Amino acid sequence: MVELANFAIHTLNGIQYGFILFLIASGLTIILGILDVLNLAHGELYAVGAYVAFSVFGYVSGAFANPEGFVGLATFLVLSLLAAVVAAAIMVPLGLLLEAVFLRPLYGRDEVYQLVLTFGLLLILKDMNKLIWGPLPVRAGDIYSGINRIPAAEFVGLTFPTFKLVIIAVGAVVVVGLFYFFNRTKLGRIIRATAIDREMATAIGVSTDRVFTLVFAMGAFFAGFAGAMALPQSNASLEMGANPLVLSFVIIVIGGLGSLRGAFVGAMIVGVLSRWAVWQYPPAEIAAPFAIMALILLVKPNGLFGTWGETA
Amino acid sequence: MSADSLLSVRGLDAAVEGFQVTEDVDLDVAAGEAVGLVGRNGAGKTTTFRGVMGLADLFAGSVRFKGEELTELRPEVVPMRGIGYQPEDRKLFTGMTVEENFRLPIWSVGDARGLDDEDAIVEEVFDVLDELDDRRDALVENLSGGQAKMVAIGRALALQPDLLILDEPLEGLAPIVVENLKGYIEEINDQGIAVLIAESNVTHVPDIVDQLYVIERGEVVDSGPPDEVVEKPDVQRLMQGSGVE
Repeated sequence: MVELANFAIHTLNGIQYGFILFLIASGLTIILGILDVLNLAHGELYAVGAYVAFSVFGYVSGAFANPEGFVGLATFLVLSLLAAVVAAAIMVPLGLLLEAVFLRPLYGRDEVYQLVLTFGLLLILKDMNKLIWGPLPVRAGDIYSGINRIPAAEFVGLTFPTFKLVIIAVGAVVVVGLFYFFNRTKLGRIIRATAIDREMATAIGVSTDRVFTLVFAMGAFFAGFAGAMALPQSNASLEMGANPLVLSFVIIVIGGLGSLRGAFVGAMIVGVLSRWAVWQYPPAEIAAPFAIMALILLVKPNGLFGTWGETA
Repeated sequence: MSADSLLSVRGLDAAVEGFQVTEDVDLDVAAGEAVGLVGRNGAGKTTTFRGVMGLADLFAGSVRFKGEELTELRPEVVPMRGIGYQPEDRKLFTGMTVEENFRLPIWSVGDARGLDDEDAIVEEVFDVLDELDDRRDALVENLSGGQAKMVAIGRALALQPDLLILDEPLEGLAPIVVENLKGYIEEINDQGIAVLIAESNVTHVPDIVDQLYVIERGEVVDSGPPDEVVEKPDVQRLMQGSGVE
């Protein structure tokens, strides 16, 4: 029974981690699918989101250092989520700026230019973080200590941190929202049409410049949101963008380059697998996602789902 | 050129990937007229159309539509001015239904073109292309070749254009489907929408157009009423040459 409970807890941990990874990978994959740009700076957008959330929530939580009682704790939780949304919203103008100023002149050029450019942006964003928040990791545990006072959720004999459940719930809402956006809304389907055929989209009057800017800003929003949601369980540090970027690559390769559905399935596979590894054999945590990627590519060389646009 | 020209192309030197394909092309389409542009594969028909749509690089020339110079506009503005375009290779938006493919142009240019009643426009398109009516919820990748061409035409039609540019709409279709589609194109033209059709198969178009242009190696070599043009020796040669069934 204990084994089963452990299995359930680590699986839930993996799902929670998977949702964070999906938030990051979704932006990476739609930017790749639509702009045809592999954004190496995507992990840094995640880091900036975490830092900004730290500052935003640090400012707010001063008034809430010791949340008490149900109302106090609930308010604390809602405020921490709002701070994440604010942090993500602050990423939007940053995304708009990066796309319009730096990326736009390079469309249609060789991919190498885009890789060099986005790698440059990675370094610049990292230095920007260093300049604003300093070289040492900022300790998020202090300002988010109220999170730990929230009683753990208990269900079917399991005890699981409430905040992690909240992350799962928020992640699920984002997944449903994104699929709804791309499958049901006019704008979402215009974006998909642009992904399928840029030139034909132009010929029916779609401004691809505007679509590209919007998509990049969306990607920045979700990367920043992921950073902000992950922050309470970790610190914000200069190096924090590297791992999520690499894992996001693994995820979108597993799922099929540019496939949103693939990114979701890939994120769940990588999230759960790496948490199982942590539980059973910690040294395999990093290796496990790569191993499963290799296996999947052997069977399906284009990833689990095809290219994006065709089925969102 | 006539003063009431809807589309007026002058001296068009359009390029593909930096190489000039068309040379000094002049072409006119009057309001409500049907005009054919025939020539072999590679003669420059597609490049001419892409030049009109703002999708090809231009070395020289002017494209005026309702008196406005299109070459100075961004390419996505061209459809907003009232030109619907069916490209040669269809370029349907896969993963989406027939109906979604018809709605997309209305969503993107509806405001600019003052298209208020989206549903009514979609129904009008299905009225014309009635063969697609029971396929409206089918994904476009599951259609036959003829149906796919119809979707590409219908998508252009959903803009409620004043000019419909069709790039080889009849190419590669079974004879019975060709007759069908020609009927649809005539019906569209009868509604007062000007049509500009390119075909490499010369035999298809003369009976549905008012004016015929012949293009060879990027240059317009003949033009006039179709019954006169088809009598000319080089057009005869074209009709008997390769690429003609």
